[in-house]
Amino acid sequence: MDPGGASQRSGRSAETRWRGHIVRQLKHRDRSQNAMFQDLIRFYTQLLEKTNLTKRLLSRRPSAGGGASLSSLLQQNCQLKKTTGELAYQVVELQQQIRSKECVVQEQQARLQEEESRLTGVFDTHRVLRERVEQVEVENRTLKTEYDELLERQRWAESRLREEKVQEEHLLEDMMYMKKQAAALMNTRNERRSRARQATLQKELQTAARSKVTIDSPSSAPTSRSTSPKDGHQDESSRRTRGRLFRSASSPRNLGFFFPSLHLFDRKRRGHSVCLQEDQLFPVGVCLSARVPARALHVLEAHEEGINAVRFSFGSDLLATGGTDRVIKVWEVRAGSLTHRTTLDGSTEGITCVEFDPTGWKILAASYDRSALLWQLDASVPKVTLTGHSRKVTAARFTCVPHQVVTGSQDRTVRLWDLHRAACVQQVEAGSYCTDLVCSESSIISGHFDSKIRVWDPRAVSCVQELPAQGRVTSLDLSSDRRQLLSCCRDDCL
Amino acid sequence: MADDKDVLRDVWFGRIPTCFTLNPDEITEREAEPYYLLLPRVSYLPLVTDKVKKHFHKVMKAEDVEEMWFEYEGTPLKWHYPIGVLFDLHASNTVLPWSITVHFKSFPDRDLLHCPSNSIIEAHFMSSIKEADALKHKSQVVNDMQKKDHKQLWMGLQNDKFDQFWAMNRKLMEYPTEEGGFRYIPFRIYQALSERLFIQKLFRPVSPEGNTHTLGDLLKEMYPDALTNDGEQKRYQVLIHGIEPLLETPLQWLSEHLSHPDNFLHICAIPVPTD
Repeated sequence: MDPGGASQRSGRSAETRWRGHIVRQLKHRDRSQNAMFQDLIRFYTQLLEKTNLTKRLLSRRPSAGGGASLSSLLQQNCQLKKTTGELAYQVVELQQQIRSKECVVQEQQARLQEEESRLTGVFDTHRVLRERVEQVEVENRTLKTEYDELLERQRWAESRLREEKVQEEHLLEDMMYMKKQAAALMNTRNERRSRARQATLQKELQTAARSKVTIDSPSSAPTSRSTSPKDGHQDESSRRTRGRLFRSASSPRNLGFFFPSLHLFDRKRRGHSVCLQEDQLFPVGVCLSARVPARALHVLEAHEEGINAVRFSFGSDLLATGGTDRVIKVWEVRAGSLTHRTTLDGSTEGITCVEFDPTGWKILAASYDRSALLWQLDASVPKVTLTGHSRKVTAARFTCVPHQVVTGSQDRTVRLWDLHRAACVQQVEAGSYCTDLVCSESSIISGHFDSKIRVWDPRAVSCVQELPAQGRVTSLDLSSDRRQLLSCCRDDCL
Repeated sequence: MADDKDVLRDVWFGRIPTCFTLNPDEITEREAEPYYLLLPRVSYLPLVTDKVKKHFHKVMKAEDVEEMWFEYEGTPLKWHYPIGVLFDLHASNTVLPWSITVHFKSFPDRDLLHCPSNSIIEAHFMSSIKEADALKHKSQVVNDMQKKDHKQLWMGLQNDKFDQFWAMNRKLMEYPTEEGGFRYIPFRIYQALSERLFIQKLFRPVSPEGNTHTLGDLLKEMYPDALTNDGEQKRYQVLIHGIEPLLETPLQWLSEHLSHPDNFLHICAIPVPTD
């Protein structure tokens, strides 16, 4: 222990000593001076107060009982009597008051009873109301549960809707993707085909160029050779067949015409369309030579994609071409070359067939988009769109009746349309996919995929005649006198 | 410290049993009974003797009543001393209860101050507190107090409310810790057998060397007679609140805990009774 700590401790002990001393002394002082006398003094004070009280009482009595004179007594008596009288009067008065009060009390009791009865009535109604409240509450609860259920169902339905929407989106995306793929595939295939086609064509051209065409001198032409009207026709048919062949082989972008026979005819007319020449030549009935056209007179890159249909107008020197690039182009044929005149668009798919009307002002086209379209030459948008077929429309022709057209479709029907109303007038189930149509005055002739040529009566809507062909009929045409029919079949025969 | 709080409580609730008797010279209608009362040591006579006054008024004619004053064995009791001091100074070591004679006549103007109302006592009490605080804190604390704080001190004393009084008095007992105590200890030493009223001087709670001053140091400085030398018989009792603290008790602690409500440490030096 260090001395500092010791001194501190001694200091503390000293502190406790003097402090303890003081506390002890104070306690002792209180005991001797306070506690001992506390009760004593209290009791003394009480006693003093009591004695004072008794003293006062004692001191008062002798003064009250002191000798009083008789007169004062009498006076007192009189006064007392007076007060008695007053008191009696007061009693009577008070009794009266009591009676009136009783009346009031009774009245009040009656009212009280009345109020009580009313109260019970009110209580009853209250109970009834409470019952009703409970009932309503129960109903409310059931409604609430129903509502909750409905809410739950709605939520469920909404979630399902959302799911469906998501699915739909997915499907849409998938579809888009597929379509894109399909388009890409188609493009590549087309390209491949076109390349192959071009190759063959080139080869053909080469062969054609190599094989020297033996053209007779124009001076000997008009009088010699056969005069069959069929020849010219044959020319055209063969040309068309070639066109068809082009189409079936996914035509190239070059449009080639073989006009060798033109040299057989009048030189002045060279360069005019074949149809025009035929029309003018036919009445003459002279055709000097008939030959399969072997040389392209004019080669033109006309369309962006394959050409499906080609047609001359009846009267004027116009040529219409329709292709898979969805447009129809009208060309003016002049001096053996084609100049572009107008483009008709409106079809949403490729064109399968084109025809001029007898006036040469309207063009009818059949389209892959299951419709047939009618243009006027001076308007590039279609005037009428005939819809109704369920597959692609393969053929569309004007009938001999004005404002009437007939269409054949892959959906195995042939339909008759009224152009005024732009509506289907008649529909014939042909039984097979119709590839081409021609119209005479009284009948419609259709070539079919099942190697049959059917002749229809447009008024009776019935098959008049059924002619068998050797193969699938791909194309038909009628001679100008409408008595002879030319058909083109898949067995490579005319 | 819990002990300290108990000490404060014991000091506050110190009581002296007193028997008031009417001066036989007074003219009474009938015999006056003596009146007994426990007087609080820390209070002043006029504050607690209303009942005495009432009691004796009953037996006296109103016209004979003048200002009441008290006397003990021929000594008029100064009302401006705390009751405990009066008792310790004049009547300690006597048989209890303390018998005080009550006078209503012939007021000793030379010895006593008149006390017409409690406001006089209040003024005296507050001036004592201010004087004590001037010694302790250069009056800073008491001047910082508001009027209502002063009132709280006075009302605490007047109504004998220990907590109310000490809630405020606590502030007066604070001191900066680095100084180890008050600037000066407010004390008064009363001598029973002296013409001097009391000794009051400046005295620091800590010596210049840093030692704490004790009660013994104070007495040695102020009143050496009160101390007993070795081998001598004890001549004086040193009473504070009726007790004799040890001389080694630190003066600062005494000032904090054994002071009267007026913040003075009232010390009574009385001769040891010789039987």
